[in-house]
This record gives sequence, C-alpha cells and structure tokens, in this order.
Amino acid sequence: MAVLTTGRRRPAGGSSLARRQAVAAWVLAAPFLVLFLTFTLGPVLASLGMSFTDMQSTDVRSPLAVEFVGFEQYADLLSNELFRQVAWNTAWYVLLGVPLTMAMGLAAAVALNSITRLRGFFRTGYYLPLVTSIVAVAVVWRFLLRDDGVLNTLLGYVGIGGWDWLNETSTALPSLVVMAAWRNFGALTVIFLAGLQTVPAAVKEAAEVDGAGRWRQFRHVTLPLLRPTLLFAAVITGIGYLQFFEEAYVMTQGGPLDTTRSVTYLTYDQFSFGNYGYASAMSYLLFLAVVALTAVQFRALRPKD
Amino acid sequence: MTRARYVRPVTAMLTCAALVLVGCGRDEEDDAPAAESEEVGSGPATGTIDVWAMGTEGELLGDFAKAFEQANPDADVNVTAVPWDSAHDKIINAITAGSTPDVSLIGTTWMGEFAESEGLEPTPEGLVDEQSFFPGAWDSTVVDDVSYGVPWYVETRVLYYRTDFAEQAGWSEPPRTWDELHQFATDLQGAGAEQGLYLQPGQTGSWQTFMPFAWQNGAALTNEEGTEYTLDSPEMAEALEYYKTYFTEGISQDALLVEGELEQGFADGKFGSFISGPWHVALVDEAGGPEFADKYDVTPLPGKDEAPGTSFIGGGNLGVFTDADNRDGAWKFVQWLSQPETQTDWYTTMGDLPAVRASWDSGELASDPRLSVFGEQLDNANSPPAVPTWEQVAAVIDADVEKAVKDAVSVEDAVADMQSQASSIGTGLE
Amino acid sequence: MSAVRMAEVAQPVDDVSSASGGGRESTRHTTPRWLYVVLTLGLVVVLGPFVWMALSSVKPEAEVREVPPTWLPRDVTWDNYDTLFTDLNMPTFFFNSVVVATAVALGNVVFGAMLGYALAKLRFRGRRVLFGLVLVTLMVPGVATFIPQFVLVTNLGLANTLPGMILPYLVQPFGVFLMRQYMLSLPDDLIDAARVDGAGELRIFASVMLPLCGPAMATVGILTFLASWNNFLWPLVIAQSDDKWTLPVALALYSTGEHSTDYGLLLAGSVVVVLPVILVFLVLQRYFVQGIAMTGIK
Repeated sequence: MAVLTTGRRRPAGGSSLARRQAVAAWVLAAPFLVLFLTFTLGPVLASLGMSFTDMQSTDVRSPLAVEFVGFEQYADLLSNELFRQVAWNTAWYVLLGVPLTMAMGLAAAVALNSITRLRGFFRTGYYLPLVTSIVAVAVVWRFLLRDDGVLNTLLGYVGIGGWDWLNETSTALPSLVVMAAWRNFGALTVIFLAGLQTVPAAVKEAAEVDGAGRWRQFRHVTLPLLRPTLLFAAVITGIGYLQFFEEAYVMTQGGPLDTTRSVTYLTYDQFSFGNYGYASAMSYLLFLAVVALTAVQFRALRPKD
Repeated sequence: MTRARYVRPVTAMLTCAALVLVGCGRDEEDDAPAAESEEVGSGPATGTIDVWAMGTEGELLGDFAKAFEQANPDADVNVTAVPWDSAHDKIINAITAGSTPDVSLIGTTWMGEFAESEGLEPTPEGLVDEQSFFPGAWDSTVVDDVSYGVPWYVETRVLYYRTDFAEQAGWSEPPRTWDELHQFATDLQGAGAEQGLYLQPGQTGSWQTFMPFAWQNGAALTNEEGTEYTLDSPEMAEALEYYKTYFTEGISQDALLVEGELEQGFADGKFGSFISGPWHVALVDEAGGPEFADKYDVTPLPGKDEAPGTSFIGGGNLGVFTDADNRDGAWKFVQWLSQPETQTDWYTTMGDLPAVRASWDSGELASDPRLSVFGEQLDNANSPPAVPTWEQVAAVIDADVEKAVKDAVSVEDAVADMQSQASSIGTGLE
Repeated sequence: MSAVRMAEVAQPVDDVSSASGGGRESTRHTTPRWLYVVLTLGLVVVLGPFVWMALSSVKPEAEVREVPPTWLPRDVTWDNYDTLFTDLNMPTFFFNSVVVATAVALGNVVFGAMLGYALAKLRFRGRRVLFGLVLVTLMVPGVATFIPQFVLVTNLGLANTLPGMILPYLVQPFGVFLMRQYMLSLPDDLIDAARVDGAGELRIFASVMLPLCGPAMATVGILTFLASWNNFLWPLVIAQSDDKWTLPVALALYSTGEHSTDYGLLLAGSVVVVLPVILVFLVLQRYFVQGIAMTGIK
C-alpha cells in the first residue's frame, strides 16, 4: 500500500484528467493482466483448440497427431439425447435455484441488517453450511429426505402423503435445488449485507420523512440502490448453479435415471473417460450458456442512472 | 477505427491456428506403443525408486519396503501416498506433463488407457512368470496382446448370506445354480429378511455386480481378437432378464444404498444376502459385532447350472512408467513384490489378497474357510477387457441396467442400446 | 446504545442515524422480538449438519454409519482426533493450507480492489474490454482449462511448489467483479473533491476509496480464503510429495479407501479443517460493517 500512496504530481503544462486516469487504471490493472495472460489465456485457447479435435487422453504425448473435426463434436452434442437431458436438468436447476437462493439471502441480510444485537453471531451461523463438509451435509439431508424420514413424517402430521424425494425422478432435482439454496444462501447474505451498508442513512431517512412504510421503503429506495449488488449476486449464483455438480455427485450420483445429472457432471465424466476434445466442446457449450444467462441478467439488472 | 485495429492481430492468430491445424492429423499407420521392453539387468537395485500408492496401501508400503531396501542396500524406496478418489486423474495428468514417478499402483480398469497413452512400459520378458498369477489378474495387465504391468493384489465377488435365515428356511447348503439362488432369496424373505438378495439397481459400478451373471450365461463382452464389442448377444439379454426378475418380484429393492447401509442392513436382517468382495468381511463384522460372526457365511457365486459361477476379478496392478528415472530399480521392486513370500507377507500386513497363486497354498490363506471361498472364486473370475474405453462403456452398461431394472426400457432395447453406444465409442485401441 | 458502541469508528448505519440525534429513530428501530425468533429458527435449520458433524466426530465408526443417523453419541471416543494428530503430519498440512489460502485471499483482496476500482471509477479507453475480459474469465467453466493449466504450471517448473498452488488463483475475477459492483454504489463526490484538492489518482484509490470498502474487502477475503482452503483438485495434482499436501487432500487420503470410507476420521478432520475458516470469519466480522457517514474525510 505504501508504494501506491505516492501520488502523482500534476505535470507542468496540464495533462488532461483523462490521461492521468488511464495511466492509473493500467497500473491498477497490471497484476490481474499479468496473471491472466500467464495462467488463463493460454489454457483457454488450448482447451478451445482441443474442442475442435478428437483428442483423447491417450494422445497426450503426441498432441498434434489428432484429427481436426471442426464443429462436429458440437453438433453431436446438441443432438445427443443424454446431453439434452442434462442441459434441461441444468436449466431447471438454475431457473429454480437462483431466485430461491437470492430471495433467502436477501431476506436474511435485511433481517440481520435490522437487528442490533447478535448480528455477528447470526451472520456466522448462516455462513456455516458453506463450510460444513459435504459429507455431513449429505448425511443429514438424506436423513431428512428418506422415505421414512423427517420431512415425510412432518408432512404426515399435516395429512399430506410423502414422496421418496431422492429416488423418484420427479422430485430428485427439486430436492437438490432446495438443498443447494440452503447451502449457498449464507454467502449471499454476507454479500447483500455488504451491499446494504452502501445505502446511505440520509436516503433512508428522507424516505421515512416522506412517510413511506418499511416495505415501500425497501422496494423503492433500498432495492434500486442495491441493483449493482443484486446483479453481482445473480451473475455469481447463476454461473455457480449452471456448473452444479457436487450435490448431485454426493447425493444421487446423477440418478435416478439421470434426472440429476448436470452438464458439468457429464463433462467431468467425459474428461475422466479421456475424451478431452469432446469434453472441451461440452464445456464451451456451457460457456455459451453462461454468457447468454449473464447477458440477460445484465440487461435485467442494469443500473439505471 | 476500433474495428480496424483488431483486424491484424486476429488475422495473425487465425493464420497461426490454421498452420497448426494443417500439421495435425492422425497417421493412418498403426502408431502402436512399443511392444518390447529391454531386459532388466541382473544384480541388486540401486538408486531412488519413487512409488505412488493409494489409500492404506500407500500408508503401509513405505515401511514394508524396508525389507527390500535391506536386500538392496544401495536402493532407496520413496513411497508417496495418493488418495483413491482422484488417483486416476492425478496419474493421467502426470503422464501428460511427463512428471510421473517410477512405479505406481494402478487400478485394473485403468491399464488400457495408460498403456495406450504410452505412459506405461511393457513388462520385460522373463521378469515374472505369467502362469504364477490368477488368469483373470494377468489378463487385466494385457492390452492389445502386450502386458504392461504385474498384478499385485486381487479381489473378487462372492455371495454373502445369513446362515440363520437360511437354516430357518430349510437350506443346509448354499445355492449353486441360478434357479436355486432365486428360490434361496425368496425363502430368505420368508424367513424374515426384507430383501432376499441385494443387487445394485444400476448406476455407478453396478456392472461389477451384473456382469458375472452375463458371464455365467456364456456372454462375451468382445470378440476373440478383442477388437469389437459383442454386447447384444442373446446370452446377455437373458442374463439381464434374470437380473431384472429380482426387482420385479420384490426380492431386491431399486433404491441406491448409501455407504454403510448394506452391512448394517445385513446385520439387522434387512438384507438376507448380497454380493461383494473381501473388504466386506471386516465391515460386516464391525457392523454386526462379535456375536454376529456365526450368523453369516460366504460362498462362491452360483453358476447358471452349477457352482462356482464366474465372478468379477479386480484389484491392483503395478506399472512402471515410460518416464521413469530409475527404470531398472523400479522393475526390480515390482519383481520383489510379486514373489510368493512377499505376497504372503503383504497379506499379513495389509490384508490384500495375493495375486500369486502359490501364496494361497500355505498359512491362513489355505486354512481359513472364508478365505478359501475367495481363493476358489479367484480361479473362476474374469476381468473386463483391458481397453482404454472400458470405463466409458461400463458407464453405458450401468445406465442401461438401471433403465431395464426400473422398467424404463425393455431388456432387448437396453441391450441393443449398450451395443450401439459401445460400438460408436469403440475400444480405443488404434 | 452503549457508549462503547457509539465510539467505534465502524458502526452499522442504524446506529449512525440514531447517534446523529433523532430520538424518534430509536422508537422506530427497536427490533421486533419476533425477528429474533425467526432468525433463531433459521439458525437451527441451518446448523443441523454442522452440529451433526461435530457430534459424530467423537462417535465410534459403526455409530457414525448408522442409518437413520444418531445425534448425541452413545459412546464418546477421541480415537479419530488421536489419529489425526499422531498419524498424520498435521503441522505440515496445516502450514501449507494456511500459507496458500492466506496468500490467495490477500492477493484477491488487494489486486481485486485495485482493478475493481479502475473498472468502477476511472474513465479510460479499453475499460469495457478489460471488464469483458474479467467477465469472460469468470464465465469459462473451470473444468475446461484445468488440464492445460496443469501442463502449463508444470512446464513453468512450479509443480510440487506452494507458488504453483497459489499463482493461478491469485487474482480471480470473482473478487474484481464484487469490488467493482460495490464501488459503483459509492458516491463519486468524495473522489471529485479529492481531485480538486490535488491528490493523485493512486492516492485517491488508497486513501479515499479503500477505507470505505471494508465490507466488500472482508467479503472477498473470506470467500476467497474459504474457496482456497477447501480447494481439493488443484493441490492434489500439483503436489507430488507428502510435504506439499494441503488439508483437504490429506484428509481425503487418509479417510477414503478404495471400497469404503473412514467416516469418523473424515468428520473429525472436517471439524479441524473448519475451525480456521470460522476464526477468520469472526476476525473479519468488524470489517463487514461500516457506515460511510462516519468515516470522516474532511
């Protein structure tokens, strides 16, 4: 930090503000750029290239002795029944999961922002699912969702019949969505809390003076100011959920009948089978989906000036 | 203006890419990996020998190798333990980057891939006697007619059953044929078990439980030369039909079990019997407690018309990498580990079943009744084809077994799908 | 409100408004009791697995594997922790994990703030491209680049080194993106004022903006620390010898077998692995909370 606080004097002759900003910007961007160019750009290009070949793990020692297949693998994937199924699973997961997790995270953040005591205590508590071993999470959630488990017992008290949540093709994926929301909303709570700190007190006071009730205050004052944070949360969660893998791997192994298998799960399988070219193609299809989703989110939550 | 600025760098990149691509392409000629390995020199091993081993084998091998170091004073064995979870990925990545150790423990189903990637050296002539190993174990090292390693330890699947339920149901001897097994499982349910026989209903690894039935019925996975898959045989369909009847009749449940549930269920009487490998003996004993030991037993798998039926053989092989720094030392270490006395000692230390038959002729392996069941089964066990694409085809089989068992598709369609997918995947051997 | 709390520099916005003297605020802002109740119930739901994990780490293996699972241990055994600290080379693994995770967290906080500021508050040509680059990096699935990255790092001679584990993760687009969004919400007038005062751009960044970014920096810090701390696959392939394992790798190594898992050991290890993260989280608590009105620039 000491290095950076050495301010630059305004050079004699008055260079424009624009030029100073540009210089400062590139200095600030330098670390990212260096690391990016070294560790990210090359690998991205290499894997993109791989996706246009039929490279296998058995070719690794002679990487140029592979066939160039162009877009063939991409086309194969789009017409592959299993890929379509997992793409559909992944889409559902995102459509259900992102709003659910964001709503839970926001609710918790607002609640924590409103209380005065024990805030740190609660914040730490809600964060714990993120750090709990997936093994423990899986054991407890399976216990809850078993045919003779807690959830069905509770539903029984209210007179609703239960389901074999993880073993039935219609309920397995939604169950995992709920579990994922439970696991991840803590991170969003932390992020939203940070965002809520940027809502200036003065603005909130003004709204109260105007007689706005708390809900209206929230909807029309806080929420709009929170747009950049909301956008961030939506993008991050969306990208994360588009790549969901761990929960399905541990809880259902992609079943029953591939209803919880995600694109990333399939990609991971293909990489472990050694179908490097094919798997890379799949990851770039996923990348396109990520870009599309992010673009939509940027449009929807664009900061309005 | 901004547009124009991008044109030149982009053109340059595209040109480079094009040049590279022109240089790519597979040779029509067979670019087969080397089929012969130099002989290993005589005399004691020298130098550092870097070894990777997974799990508990990795933890115990370091100390165990001290005996080797004593016999070869100039040699130093350096064992690194690697987690089982991602050992396959770690090894293939090491082969890619050229950063492999000298020797590694290698899962039997990985041999094809590693050999084809030219990461493994063929086993030198005369290093070991092929006949000294269980045939299924040796087969798992042979890729495209060349052996690329040496079997270290083996495992096979047998039938575990509740002797108390069996007696109650009137069975003084375990079942020996398919029909008897079916009746046996039904009777166990009558005697109090919820499920007569636990069979894995598809999903990861279920092929290891299902395949034996196919083999028992005479199905072959590939043709003689090993160049094509032959999965859609009538024998395979029959075997899958038989497998499915257990589910349709309620003898087996179609829910996946979590780890720990099987042995506990067995001890609690939920499952009357199940098929698994030697590691389950310890798990069952732990779940059931000391009084449980006489309430269960193991027996070789029933065959279609007579016992023992063919089972699945797995285990671990030892392979030396082409990038090894100390190739001679590595092979000598491997040779030492495959000697009958070393194999017996390793069994005593670790509990892994020896791959060398001679070790089964004496000691606990010969006298313990449960262990001799495994010994008997090992003589009747097949390994899947040692081809690079096996894991992928196995996953297809798993998925189709699940669909057949859960009645999502008919047995004929399931088997047909197995074959069509396997054909398009190919064996992976060039 | 106690005097101590009012005196703290970093204060929740609520406190700020009541400190600046509005009696009417304090009646408005007494927190309804039901909110605490709801939050506590939420906490119970959320903590279940964590509590189970801790309780089960002292159970014998057979009890851990019981289905349905038990809560309070029937027998308490410290064997798992014993094994962890005697058989395993804990100090080394711990050290490796700490070094790697701390370096990654610091790198992301500092460099992320730097670039985030440039993207949020500075006007310069290429800003959109740069942001696009950050987003693209964020969006490329990690699984795609894993293998080429491994080959690259090995060829750079960084295999089996701690820097090899740290460098690819030192500046992640996640942190940059978060800092940018956060800073977008902060008003420009402080910056403009500082410029009028003649401060250089970099000094403005360090002295004006950064102090306002406590919550965001703490957030980036804890989340990147956590991700690095729990990272399994990368350290697994990079490390070639036992002295370079990090905690998750070591834990997987000793508890997962070919055919069965030592759950007791795994859970005990998970508890140990979790503690430093919670510690970091607690330490960073006070940075999560900040009111811009109270940080006096003038």
